[in-house]
Amino acid sequence: MRDGAYHQAMAVAPRAMRPQGRLVQAGLVVAGLAAFIAMCADLNLAPDALFAGLDKLGRFAEGALPPSDGGDPLRIVKALAETFAMAFAGTVLAALAALPLGALGAKTVVGQPVLHFAFRRALDWFRGVPALVWALILVSAFGLGPFGGVIALALADIPSLAKLFSEAIENCDEKPIEGVRAAGVPPLMALRYGLAPQVTPVMASQCLFFLESNFRNAAVLGIVGAGGIGFELEERIRIFAFDEVLFIVGLYMLCVAALDTVSQRLRASLA
Amino acid sequence: MNLAVAEFESLRRRTLRRQRLRALAGLLIFSAVLLVSFQRSQFFSSDIGGDPLGRVADFLTRMIPDLKAEALVADSRTKGSLAWWFYDLPVWLKLGWQTVEMAIVATVLGAAGGLVASFLCARNLMPFPAVRFAVRRTLEAIRTLPDLILALILVAAFGVGPLAGVITLAISTVGGLGKLFAEINEEVDPRQLEAMEAAGVGPLSRIRYGVVPQVLPNYASYVLIRLEGNLAGAAALGIVGAGGIGLELQRAITYTEFDTYLAILLLIVCMIFVIDLTSEAIRHRLIGLAAAR
Repeated sequence: MRDGAYHQAMAVAPRAMRPQGRLVQAGLVVAGLAAFIAMCADLNLAPDALFAGLDKLGRFAEGALPPSDGGDPLRIVKALAETFAMAFAGTVLAALAALPLGALGAKTVVGQPVLHFAFRRALDWFRGVPALVWALILVSAFGLGPFGGVIALALADIPSLAKLFSEAIENCDEKPIEGVRAAGVPPLMALRYGLAPQVTPVMASQCLFFLESNFRNAAVLGIVGAGGIGFELEERIRIFAFDEVLFIVGLYMLCVAALDTVSQRLRASLA
Repeated sequence: MNLAVAEFESLRRRTLRRQRLRALAGLLIFSAVLLVSFQRSQFFSSDIGGDPLGRVADFLTRMIPDLKAEALVADSRTKGSLAWWFYDLPVWLKLGWQTVEMAIVATVLGAAGGLVASFLCARNLMPFPAVRFAVRRTLEAIRTLPDLILALILVAAFGVGPLAGVITLAISTVGGLGKLFAEINEEVDPRQLEAMEAAGVGPLSRIRYGVVPQVLPNYASYVLIRLEGNLAGAAALGIVGAGGIGLELQRAITYTEFDTYLAILLLIVCMIFVIDLTSEAIRHRLIGLAAAR
């Protein structure tokens, strides 16, 4: 019998236990499913196109075995070195530029709330522009080659690194700085012995993170003409030389894994 | 007493010297790598022509559309109006929506794949170490491969269009979410699972009633963050022909319509902004719900 106690219990029960709650849930699931199917249809994700593509992919895979260096392994190694060089130079430039910006963005340095807010929002806005978009602009301004790639990587990293740096500065402990200052040293020395030991390990480890991700991004920049391994890959995919593609991709993945391991070690020794 | 001080002093000197040597070695290695990097990336030696900064400035000025205040709201045939700047807006909006759809479909498919993978490689749910090892290595390999390179290969196989883009993003989402999901799975409180096992509940039901309620809020928040990332990814994939708004971006650059480039870029940034805000609102509600429980 549905008496007062039943209604009282229902009023506090989780929504899913109430009859109309369950109806709403079922309706949401059905609507979500319908929207998903409609989107798939709108994108022309037809099974026959999928199978035709998989068939082609299978033929690519057959052609890719055994992998081949295309008779010029040195060229591929050089392209890989160029990609790493772009990533390294880009990260260093970004870190150098982000250091003063990060200091300006720290609440503890620039106390004025309006300035702080405006500066942070500006960084947020620029953070939305990915390296690839910068690369498209810079390659058409500087011409083909890794130079535009380096600048593109640096420009894409500066806002993110500046934000992380300013957070590192904000999160540091004030007491060591006060202590050093109390000993009567000039302000620059107070920063050197009070602040730097706290923030350098954090910043260095963030730079290593960005180096790792830049090595991946640098490979992509080659596709829009910024040199390096991406350029070599695109060339070979265009002529369906998948044995060489497999060789390059394999070598590249090994390099990424190696860099990640080294950087992980370095980061662990920093902490 | 003096002896102890002397011993301490010599130890301190030695430690300091060792630290300085290590710092010096690190600095030397760093400088060498930096030097080689600048040399290899032709940073100072590139022939970028005279006045490179002037060229960037020129580029930026050409990106600013030539808008006229008196004609701002006129139709698209009037030079200097907003409609003239965004002259192909209906097409861009359609392609932009296609990009959003690509991101959503790929995130759903990738999350489903990542879910399966995460159960196969979670230490507390998958009893066979060989399977765990294989799945983990596969996920790692996927994460190493940049999206755009995968997209290049898939565009060659599936043809130009959103299909290749969706598959690319779905695969990379499996790699990313699979690992994060597995980490959440390993944090699951084992007592509920043990109770069910003692009651004789099968493995699939154990996952449904023991694991899913514990992990769902965390899952949902990772999926939403991934959706934001996939939207930016989908916009970029168009550049290699994998569907969506990126194609127009590439076209604008090729035809040196730099003001159009800026218009499309603004559109993409707005799109990402809206999705970010929506997903953040949903995430905060989910976190609120999880905290209230």
